[in-house]
Amino acid sequence: MGLVCRSVEEAGIATTYIATGRDLTIQVKPPRSLFLNFPMGNNFGEPSNQGQQTAILRRALEMVEEVELGGTLEDWPESWPAPVTYFTGRKSE
Amino acid sequence: MKPISYVDELTRHYGSMGFPPYKWTINETAPLTRITKPLAECCVSLLTSGGISHCTVPGFDPDARNDHRLDEIDQNTSNQDFAINDSYYNHTDADQDINCVFPIDRLKELVEDGTIGSIPNRFWSGFMGRIYNRTKLIEESIPAFIDKLREDAVDVLVTAPA
Repeated sequence: MGLVCRSVEEAGIATTYIATGRDLTIQVKPPRSLFLNFPMGNNFGEPSNQGQQTAILRRALEMVEEVELGGTLEDWPESWPAPVTYFTGRKSE
Repeated sequence: MKPISYVDELTRHYGSMGFPPYKWTINETAPLTRITKPLAECCVSLLTSGGISHCTVPGFDPDARNDHRLDEIDQNTSNQDFAINDSYYNHTDADQDINCVFPIDRLKELVEDGTIGSIPNRFWSGFMGRIYNRTKLIEESIPAFIDKLREDAVDVLVTAPA
Protein backbone atom coordinates (compact mmCIF):
# COMPACT_ATOMS: atom_id res chain seq x y z
CA MET A 1 0.00 0.00 0.00
CA GLY A 2 2.90 2.31 0.68
CA LEU A 3 4.12 1.61 -2.83
CA VAL A 4 0.66 2.39 -4.18
CA CYS A 5 0.69 5.75 -2.40
CA ARG A 6 4.10 6.62 -3.76
CA SER A 7 3.10 5.83 -7.35
CA VAL A 8 -0.24 7.62 -7.07
CA GLU A 9 1.54 10.65 -5.65
CA GLU A 10 4.09 10.59 -8.49
CA ALA A 11 1.13 10.64 -10.88
CA GLY A 12 0.00 13.93 -9.32
CA ILE A 13 -2.69 12.78 -6.88
CA ALA A 14 -2.11 13.50 -3.19
CA THR A 15 -2.35 10.58 -0.75
CA THR A 16 -2.62 10.12 2.97
CA TYR A 17 -1.79 6.82 4.66
CA ILE A 18 -3.34 5.74 7.94
CA ALA A 19 -0.84 3.26 9.34
CA THR A 20 -0.78 0.76 12.19
CA GLY A 21 2.71 -0.61 11.47
CA ARG A 22 5.26 2.03 12.36
CA ASP A 23 8.44 0.24 11.31
CA LEU A 24 6.90 -0.96 8.04
CA THR A 25 5.76 2.57 7.24
CA ILE A 26 9.17 4.08 7.95
CA GLN A 27 10.76 1.58 5.55
CA VAL A 28 8.46 2.09 2.58
CA LYS A 29 7.99 5.80 3.30
CA PRO A 30 4.64 6.84 1.84
CA PRO A 31 4.37 10.59 1.14
CA ARG A 32 2.30 11.33 4.32
CA SER A 33 1.53 8.91 7.11
CA LEU A 34 -0.48 9.14 10.27
CA PHE A 35 0.65 6.34 12.60
CA LEU A 36 -1.70 4.96 15.23
CA ASN A 37 -0.39 2.49 17.76
CA PHE A 38 -3.63 0.55 17.35
CA PRO A 39 -4.23 -3.02 16.18
CA MET A 40 -4.07 -3.63 12.44
CA GLY A 41 -7.61 -3.19 11.12
CA ASN A 42 -8.42 -0.50 13.67
CA ASN A 43 -6.78 2.20 11.56
CA PHE A 44 -9.64 4.58 12.39
CA GLY A 45 -10.08 3.39 15.95
CA GLU A 46 -12.84 1.67 17.82
CA PRO A 47 -16.15 0.39 16.42
CA SER A 48 -19.04 2.81 16.84
CA ASN A 49 -16.68 5.51 18.15
CA GLN A 50 -17.67 8.07 15.54
CA GLY A 51 -15.87 10.93 17.23
CA GLN A 52 -12.57 9.08 17.22
CA GLN A 53 -13.00 7.83 13.65
CA THR A 54 -13.78 11.32 12.41
CA ALA A 55 -10.88 12.90 14.33
CA ILE A 56 -8.39 10.44 12.79
CA LEU A 57 -9.77 10.93 9.29
CA ARG A 58 -9.72 14.71 9.71
CA ARG A 59 -6.11 14.71 10.88
CA ALA A 60 -5.05 12.49 7.96
CA LEU A 61 -6.74 14.92 5.57
CA GLU A 62 -5.24 17.99 7.25
CA MET A 63 -1.84 16.44 6.60
CA VAL A 64 -2.58 16.72 2.87
CA GLU A 65 -2.79 20.48 3.30
CA GLU A 66 0.06 20.88 5.78
CA VAL A 67 2.87 18.45 4.97
CA GLU A 68 5.70 20.05 3.00
CA LEU A 69 8.19 17.18 2.96
CA GLY A 70 7.54 13.80 1.32
CA GLY A 71 7.88 10.92 3.78
CA THR A 72 6.49 12.78 6.79
CA LEU A 73 5.15 10.50 9.54
CA GLU A 74 3.06 11.85 12.38
CA ASP A 75 2.23 9.92 15.55
CA TRP A 76 -1.37 9.92 16.77
CA PRO A 77 -1.33 10.91 20.44
CA GLU A 78 -3.98 8.48 21.78
CA SER A 79 -3.04 4.96 22.79
CA TRP A 80 -5.15 1.84 22.46
CA PRO A 81 -6.97 0.88 25.66
CA ALA A 82 -5.57 -2.69 25.62
CA PRO A 83 -2.13 -4.15 24.80
CA VAL A 84 -1.52 -4.20 21.04
CA THR A 85 -0.12 -7.59 20.08
CA TYR A 86 0.98 -9.20 16.83
CA PHE A 87 -1.85 -11.20 15.26
CA THR A 88 -0.45 -14.57 14.26
CA GLY A 89 -3.19 -15.19 11.74
CA ARG A 90 -6.06 -17.55 11.34
CA LYS A 91 -5.93 -20.16 8.68
CA SER A 92 -9.27 -20.42 6.95
CA GLU A 93 -10.76 -23.89 7.10
CA MET B 1 3.45 1.30 24.72
CA LYS B 2 6.17 0.61 22.19
CA PRO B 3 4.82 -0.13 18.69
CA ILE B 4 5.02 -3.71 17.44
CA SER B 5 8.09 -4.45 15.33
CA TYR B 6 6.29 -5.97 12.39
CA VAL B 7 9.50 -6.56 10.48
CA ASP B 8 10.79 -8.83 13.27
CA GLU B 9 7.44 -10.52 13.83
CA LEU B 10 6.77 -11.18 10.16
CA THR B 11 10.30 -12.49 9.58
CA ARG B 12 9.90 -14.86 12.54
CA HIS B 13 6.36 -15.89 11.60
CA TYR B 14 6.98 -16.59 7.94
CA GLY B 15 10.45 -18.00 8.59
CA SER B 16 8.84 -20.61 10.83
CA MET B 17 6.53 -21.52 7.94
CA GLY B 18 9.50 -22.06 5.65
CA PHE B 19 9.26 -18.84 3.64
CA PRO B 20 12.47 -17.11 2.57
CA PRO B 21 13.05 -13.67 4.16
CA TYR B 22 10.88 -11.01 2.54
CA LYS B 23 12.83 -8.41 0.62
CA TRP B 24 11.52 -5.20 2.15
CA THR B 25 11.51 -2.03 0.14
CA ILE B 26 13.47 0.62 2.01
CA ASN B 27 13.09 4.14 0.65
CA GLU B 28 15.13 7.11 1.80
CA THR B 29 12.95 9.77 0.21
CA ALA B 30 9.32 10.08 -0.86
CA PRO B 31 7.48 12.02 -3.57
CA LEU B 32 5.05 14.77 -2.63
CA THR B 33 2.19 16.33 -4.60
CA ARG B 34 0.66 19.44 -3.05
CA ILE B 35 -3.01 20.03 -3.68
CA THR B 36 -3.65 23.16 -5.70
CA LYS B 37 -7.03 24.02 -4.18
CA PRO B 38 -8.52 23.92 -0.70
CA LEU B 39 -9.53 20.56 0.74
CA ALA B 40 -13.09 21.89 0.77
CA GLU B 41 -12.99 21.77 -3.03
CA CYS B 42 -11.20 18.43 -3.39
CA CYS B 43 -12.64 15.10 -4.50
CA VAL B 44 -11.50 12.49 -1.97
CA SER B 45 -11.43 8.74 -2.65
CA LEU B 46 -10.74 5.79 -0.39
CA LEU B 47 -8.69 2.57 -0.68
CA THR B 48 -8.20 -0.24 1.81
CA SER B 49 -6.19 -3.44 1.59
CA GLY B 50 -8.21 -5.04 4.38
CA GLY B 51 -9.88 -7.73 2.26
CA ILE B 52 -13.32 -6.14 2.28
CA SER B 53 -15.84 -6.87 -0.45
CA HIS B 54 -19.49 -6.27 -1.17
CA CYS B 55 -21.55 -9.13 0.20
CA THR B 56 -22.97 -9.95 -3.25
CA VAL B 57 -19.60 -10.81 -4.83
CA PRO B 58 -17.21 -13.63 -3.88
CA GLY B 59 -15.04 -12.70 -0.94
CA PHE B 60 -11.30 -12.16 -1.14
CA ASP B 61 -9.07 -15.17 -0.61
CA PRO B 62 -8.23 -14.75 3.07
CA ASP B 63 -4.83 -16.41 2.67
CA ALA B 64 -4.02 -14.66 -0.60
CA ARG B 65 -0.56 -14.15 -1.94
CA ASN B 66 0.16 -12.14 -5.06
CA ASP B 67 -3.51 -11.27 -5.38
CA HIS B 68 -3.84 -8.11 -7.48
CA ARG B 69 -7.63 -8.06 -7.24
CA LEU B 70 -9.06 -4.57 -6.88
CA ASP B 71 -12.80 -4.10 -6.30
CA GLU B 72 -14.86 -1.03 -6.99
CA ILE B 73 -17.12 -0.26 -4.06
CA ASP B 74 -20.18 1.81 -4.87
CA GLN B 75 -20.18 4.82 -2.58
CA ASN B 76 -23.85 4.18 -1.78
CA THR B 77 -23.07 0.76 -0.30
CA SER B 78 -24.61 0.36 3.14
CA ASN B 79 -22.16 -0.17 5.99
CA GLN B 80 -23.97 -3.47 6.65
CA ASP B 81 -23.29 -4.91 3.20
CA PHE B 82 -19.63 -5.81 3.51
CA ALA B 83 -17.79 -9.07 4.05
CA ILE B 84 -14.20 -9.22 5.27
CA ASN B 85 -11.96 -12.11 4.31
CA ASP B 86 -8.39 -11.71 5.49
CA SER B 87 -6.53 -14.12 7.75
CA TYR B 88 -3.72 -11.72 8.46
CA TYR B 89 -5.39 -9.35 10.86
CA ASN B 90 -8.09 -9.48 13.50
CA HIS B 91 -11.13 -7.89 11.87
CA THR B 92 -13.60 -8.52 14.69
CA ASP B 93 -14.08 -4.77 15.21
CA ALA B 94 -14.24 -4.00 11.49
CA ASP B 95 -16.85 -6.76 11.05
CA GLN B 96 -18.94 -4.88 13.56
CA ASP B 97 -18.25 -1.42 12.12
CA ILE B 98 -16.67 -1.21 8.67
CA ASN B 99 -15.62 2.37 9.43
CA CYS B 100 -12.77 1.02 11.60
CA VAL B 101 -10.85 0.24 8.44
CA PHE B 102 -12.95 1.75 5.63
CA PRO B 103 -14.56 4.97 6.90
CA ILE B 104 -17.24 5.43 4.26
CA ASP B 105 -19.76 6.96 6.63
CA ARG B 106 -17.24 9.35 8.18
CA LEU B 107 -16.08 10.51 4.75
CA LYS B 108 -19.65 11.27 3.69
CA GLU B 109 -20.14 13.32 6.83
CA LEU B 110 -17.07 15.38 5.90
CA VAL B 111 -18.71 16.16 2.55
CA GLU B 112 -21.89 17.20 4.32
CA ASP B 113 -20.09 19.54 6.72
CA GLY B 114 -17.99 21.03 3.92
CA THR B 115 -14.57 19.78 5.09
CA ILE B 116 -14.02 18.12 1.72
CA GLY B 117 -15.57 18.97 -1.62
CA SER B 118 -16.90 15.64 -2.84
CA ILE B 119 -16.46 11.89 -3.07
CA PRO B 120 -16.47 9.88 -6.30
CA ASN B 121 -19.15 7.33 -7.13
CA ARG B 122 -16.80 4.46 -6.25
CA PHE B 123 -14.21 3.59 -3.65
CA TRP B 124 -11.60 0.84 -3.73
CA SER B 125 -10.62 -2.37 -1.95
CA GLY B 126 -7.65 -4.46 -2.98
CA PHE B 127 -3.86 -4.80 -3.07
CA MET B 128 -4.30 -7.15 -0.15
CA GLY B 129 -0.64 -7.45 0.58
CA ARG B 130 1.80 -10.30 0.52
CA ILE B 131 2.40 -9.26 -3.09
CA TYR B 132 5.79 -10.62 -3.99
CA ASN B 133 5.69 -9.88 -7.73
CA ARG B 134 6.35 -6.19 -7.27
CA THR B 135 7.23 -5.55 -10.93
CA LYS B 136 3.68 -6.47 -12.01
CA LEU B 137 2.35 -4.21 -9.26
CA ILE B 138 4.38 -1.21 -10.34
CA GLU B 139 4.13 -1.72 -14.10
CA GLU B 140 0.54 -2.94 -14.42
CA SER B 141 -1.75 -2.93 -11.40
CA ILE B 142 -0.94 0.47 -9.96
CA PRO B 143 -0.98 2.33 -13.31
CA ALA B 144 -4.39 0.79 -14.07
CA PHE B 145 -5.59 2.01 -10.67
CA ILE B 146 -4.22 5.51 -11.33
CA ASP B 147 -6.19 5.62 -14.59
CA LYS B 148 -9.38 4.92 -12.62
CA LEU B 149 -8.60 7.65 -10.09
CA ARG B 150 -8.08 10.07 -12.97
CA GLU B 151 -11.39 9.02 -14.55
CA ASP B 152 -13.01 9.99 -11.26
CA ALA B 153 -11.11 13.31 -11.08
CA VAL B 154 -9.79 12.36 -7.65
CA ASP B 155 -7.60 14.97 -5.92
CA VAL B 156 -6.85 13.08 -2.70
CA LEU B 157 -6.66 9.36 -1.91
CA VAL B 158 -7.09 8.16 1.67
CA THR B 159 -5.45 4.75 2.18
CA ALA B 160 -5.87 2.27 5.00
CA PRO B 161 -3.54 -0.73 4.91
CA ALA B 162 -4.56 -3.83 6.87
